[in-house]
Amino acid sequence: MRLRRAWLVAERDLRGERAQPDGLAAAVGLTAILVFVESLLVGPATAAATPAVASGLLWIALTLGAILAITRSFDRELEDDALESVLTLPGGADALYLGKVLAATLLLTLVSLAGTALTVLLLDLEVSLPGHLGLVTLGGALAIPPTVTLYVAISLRLRARALVVPLLAVPALVPQLIAASAGAAAAITGDAGGSFAWCALLVATALVSAIAGLTIGPAAIE
Amino acid sequence: MITTYPRAIRGTRTLPYLAGASVLVGAIASFMALVWAPADAVQGDVQRIMYVHVPAAWLAYLAFVVVFLASVAWLWGHSPLADAVAVASAEIGVMFTGLAIVLGSIWAKPTWGVWWTWEPRLVTTAVMFSMYAGYLLLRSLSSDFERRATRAAVVGAIAVLNVPIVHLSVTWMNALHQLPSVLRPGPPALDGRMYATLLVAVAAFTLLYASLLVARVGIERRRRSDAGRSEG
Repeated sequence: MRLRRAWLVAERDLRGERAQPDGLAAAVGLTAILVFVESLLVGPATAAATPAVASGLLWIALTLGAILAITRSFDRELEDDALESVLTLPGGADALYLGKVLAATLLLTLVSLAGTALTVLLLDLEVSLPGHLGLVTLGGALAIPPTVTLYVAISLRLRARALVVPLLAVPALVPQLIAASAGAAAAITGDAGGSFAWCALLVATALVSAIAGLTIGPAAIE
Repeated sequence: MITTYPRAIRGTRTLPYLAGASVLVGAIASFMALVWAPADAVQGDVQRIMYVHVPAAWLAYLAFVVVFLASVAWLWGHSPLADAVAVASAEIGVMFTGLAIVLGSIWAKPTWGVWWTWEPRLVTTAVMFSMYAGYLLLRSLSSDFERRATRAAVVGAIAVLNVPIVHLSVTWMNALHQLPSVLRPGPPALDGRMYATLLVAVAAFTLLYASLLVARVGIERRRRSDAGRSEG
């Protein structure tokens, strides 16, 4: 029942995004600009010598893109006065949190695949294991939304939310960012075992942060 | 002008005793650290910074565990005292985490040759510091007491995960930082006099923490009392 409600929230979010894709456009736009500027600063020679630099910069860009998309998703709820109706349902806060995480994961999957492709293209990277790189990208897209959604939900209706969310979320995302960057670098250099191990860590952090978010996050949603 | 708050600041009656005890034990710890304890065979006198660095780090752990317990208490029963304890302990914890980082940096320069290195204990401590600084920022941006306390309690309950990560980071990963000397399985890896000095220093810092906590909780409760009167 709770999962069904969560899926309804996610479906409504995705439908809203399809009708007016401002969250997706903002996330893709910011990620693309950051990847472009970072690629310009780093250059193909540095990226080829140390692939961790390129992947680290990419995942920082994707994190900021995710924060933007998830913040926009909650803003839409506030603008439409839709939040109260969801929260009045039994288990509404849980469903809202989980639904937002599901929708954000799907959106971030698209953004991160596009960002990864752009990075590979702009930095002329030779990827030894493209399939593994795709897997790590999916793992990262799975691992980031539970934490970001939690902090966006906590900061709802707060003055200076744009300031608070990155300051709270980014330090909490350090394990995910390390795993995604190292996993991507391992896939680029051809270390299959390494990329699998980092991908497993990403899935584990996704589970832990989703459970933590579901346990305590709804208490802060108002 | 309101000059007395007998109910709101009742807890501060213990403050002079706690502060006096912390000064006294601090003086004993200073004597032991600077005179009684032997100099380290390898590092020499520079190792004596351990008697302030380790207690500062211990205090950070203690403060953040108290933030966690107070946050859970707020979420459970919405007691204003729990919220006052949480904010007081978080402020003290951030201050002592910063102090531990600075003292560790001063110790690192003559022993490791650098002020800062990308080493698991240092990185995890810096992450913990920034998360609790974010916690204090979150609190400062809201004027609605109930919402602010609930938001902060959620962050305070989650951020405590940093404490075991910081402590165990040196055993999980290849670290330049030395392994735990006291909070570890088996006997302490220290000379007897060094160990005794460290314990007294930890006691002094803990008493200082208790003094600061009581004083800060008193201030917080008085603020709330004033806010209640002005609203009324």
